[in-house]
Amino acid sequence: MLNRSISRTLGRRALLVSASAAVLFAAALPSYAADVSGDLVLLNWAAGSEEDMVKALEEGFMKAYPNVHFKEINLTTQGDQRGAIRAALQSGEKADIFINTWPAFRKELVDAGMLKDLTPLWNSSAIKDNLSDGWKNLGSLDGKVYGVTYTFGDRSAMFYRTETMKKAGIDTQPATWDAMVADFGKLKAANVTPLAIGAKVWSHTEWFESIYEHLNGIDMAAKLAAHQIPWTDPSVKNALKKYAELIKAGCCGSADSMLAMDWDNASDAVLKAGTHGWQMIGMWVNDRAQTTDGLKQGVDYSITQFPAMGAGHDDVTSVDTKEFSEFASAANAPAADAFLTWITTADAANIVAQHGLASPSSKVDSSLYGPVIKYSSEAVNKAKPQFVLGDLLPGDLVDEYRVQLQKFLQDPSDATIDAVTQALEAKAATEYQ
Amino acid sequence: MTAISTTSPLAGGDRRKPAAARKWWTPDTPAAYLLLLPVLALFAFAVVYPLLQTIWLSFWDIRGLYPPKFVGIGNFVLLMNDPTFRNSLLTTLLWTCCTTLFSVGAGWAIALLCALAPKETLVPRVLIFAAFGVSEAVTGYIWLGIYRADAGGLLNAVLHGIGLGQFAHPWLGDTHTAIWGLIIAYSWAQTGLPLILIFAAAQAVPKNVLEAAYIDGADSRAIMRSIVAPLSLPGVRVALFINLLGSLRAFDTIYVLTGGGPVRSTETIGYFMYRESFTQFKLGYGAAATLVLLAAVLVISIPAIIQRTREAT
Repeated sequence: MLNRSISRTLGRRALLVSASAAVLFAAALPSYAADVSGDLVLLNWAAGSEEDMVKALEEGFMKAYPNVHFKEINLTTQGDQRGAIRAALQSGEKADIFINTWPAFRKELVDAGMLKDLTPLWNSSAIKDNLSDGWKNLGSLDGKVYGVTYTFGDRSAMFYRTETMKKAGIDTQPATWDAMVADFGKLKAANVTPLAIGAKVWSHTEWFESIYEHLNGIDMAAKLAAHQIPWTDPSVKNALKKYAELIKAGCCGSADSMLAMDWDNASDAVLKAGTHGWQMIGMWVNDRAQTTDGLKQGVDYSITQFPAMGAGHDDVTSVDTKEFSEFASAANAPAADAFLTWITTADAANIVAQHGLASPSSKVDSSLYGPVIKYSSEAVNKAKPQFVLGDLLPGDLVDEYRVQLQKFLQDPSDATIDAVTQALEAKAATEYQ
Repeated sequence: MTAISTTSPLAGGDRRKPAAARKWWTPDTPAAYLLLLPVLALFAFAVVYPLLQTIWLSFWDIRGLYPPKFVGIGNFVLLMNDPTFRNSLLTTLLWTCCTTLFSVGAGWAIALLCALAPKETLVPRVLIFAAFGVSEAVTGYIWLGIYRADAGGLLNAVLHGIGLGQFAHPWLGDTHTAIWGLIIAYSWAQTGLPLILIFAAAQAVPKNVLEAAYIDGADSRAIMRSIVAPLSLPGVRVALFINLLGSLRAFDTIYVLTGGGPVRSTETIGYFMYRESFTQFKLGYGAAATLVLLAAVLVISIPAIIQRTREAT
């Protein structure tokens, strides 16, 4: 009897202890680990080879989390995708996560209460181990994290075709501004237009931004983006005067030819046709050159960093990033959190690297990088990065900025510089209210 | 003696309508409205409701995803003071007049030529009309290939090929030539409809009139100038009306070829409206621009509709 009673009591106690332990163990596990399942909806606007990479990331994640199924709301538009994203959101599309590349748009979404604060996730997950604080800052607004960067690009890099440089007798890439301008002569002698500046829509602004940052530093660039200094500031005018030096040195053919050329035409002119020498453009061109044009990086083409200008700010570079953000209304927050954490892991970072892009993750296997991405990621890692200005400016100002710089290209005189900076300041005055 | 009236109703002598037509209510009225009801419901859903929504939107300052602010007629005041919008009005005027004149003018001329030998010109007529059937976006891409500034551009390649390389030009990058490049591309695509309409009108000229002219010694040119051309004017009027409205609302060709540039030199009201509404997401401001465009369309279409209705009754 006693034995039976003891054993019954022990049995009950053991059961209670086991149950309590199980409850405590379950509570101690990260919440997402238990609930990572169901549909994860991505509002996707990536296209072409970039879309292929997003698909590969989705597949990689579903291998790691087999109970999650990715669904996409695809936006198929051309040009600036923000309009399509806004339209989708306002028309009631429900997604858990989306890709963002515009800090100004991040602010708009945060102000509208649409983005989830990812700071707790960052601090409690592997993200903090995989991404440095620099990436945390780039994905933050007012001290809170809203985006987890999965790729970045050097926007102060100049693409060139090796054969073109060989034809012009340029053995080493110019390290300084003056050396670059001097090389214009060699290129023109070889019947090559030195620079391909596609000014049809936006890519002519890249040159202004890199010149501005190299002359004035990234703090001034950040202030200009936030309109803490006016567009009529001498720093802006001096940068435009330096830009004018290039045009007056015959960098790019006629203004009309620049205005007829979009960034992709410029890429073709440099990398395929070899009619132009260098193009300053984002790293997506690296992927495009390989997948669309069948070129081999480091052999058929390469990149060089924007030349030093000797103004005390040659340790800067213009960058762009792409990040995943989570909507505050995400229906499947556990899966979204798991995905945002997973994209910083070695598995995800290596997928990015295999698709010819740079990953910010410290876990990336850099041996997967081709020479172009290796060069550009090293350049970014050792420089002070500044986000591209065009993606930081609000609303109509971006458009005005591009149009006014088109006017500048048509007539890069001091009078035009005054008129252009005044017009930009007038627009900025209405946009930062 | 009984007086006999010699005035023909066709001559427009007695324009008074029958008494039944002047009454707003007849025994058939309920049935008529019942039959119209599905169309009226569809019209209310597809036209009236969006129009009212657009008018309502135009009173709001909407910037991206920020909360909207009611501004009354503020958007219209801003529009009138916006130099970009004023510039787009002028561009729209130039664009609309030129594309309409070019497309209808070319359509009229070709129709009259085709009227001389209808059977022999069937294939060219079909080909020209086929261009009208191609979507505006596809037309844009075709002409993009023609105007390309580099060696791949057809126009510049032809100029080089015939020894006129000095005239090769980045046509769409020059603020002076871009708008004309667009006008030519759009007019080319829009010539088919006037051609068919005017050709039909020319074919409707009574044969006995033409035979009488031949008998009176008129040559082909005189017949064309003095008989066929004037009698095909109803077709020209319809073509003018349709092409004018189409030009006012044109968007795709501009979007594909120039995107409103360079330096906004090809930005029409329609493109301005798109940029403000869908790129900047200033929906209220874009709606105000839409209403200005609508007003322009109505100013043209209402008199035309009234005239057509009078002719019909």
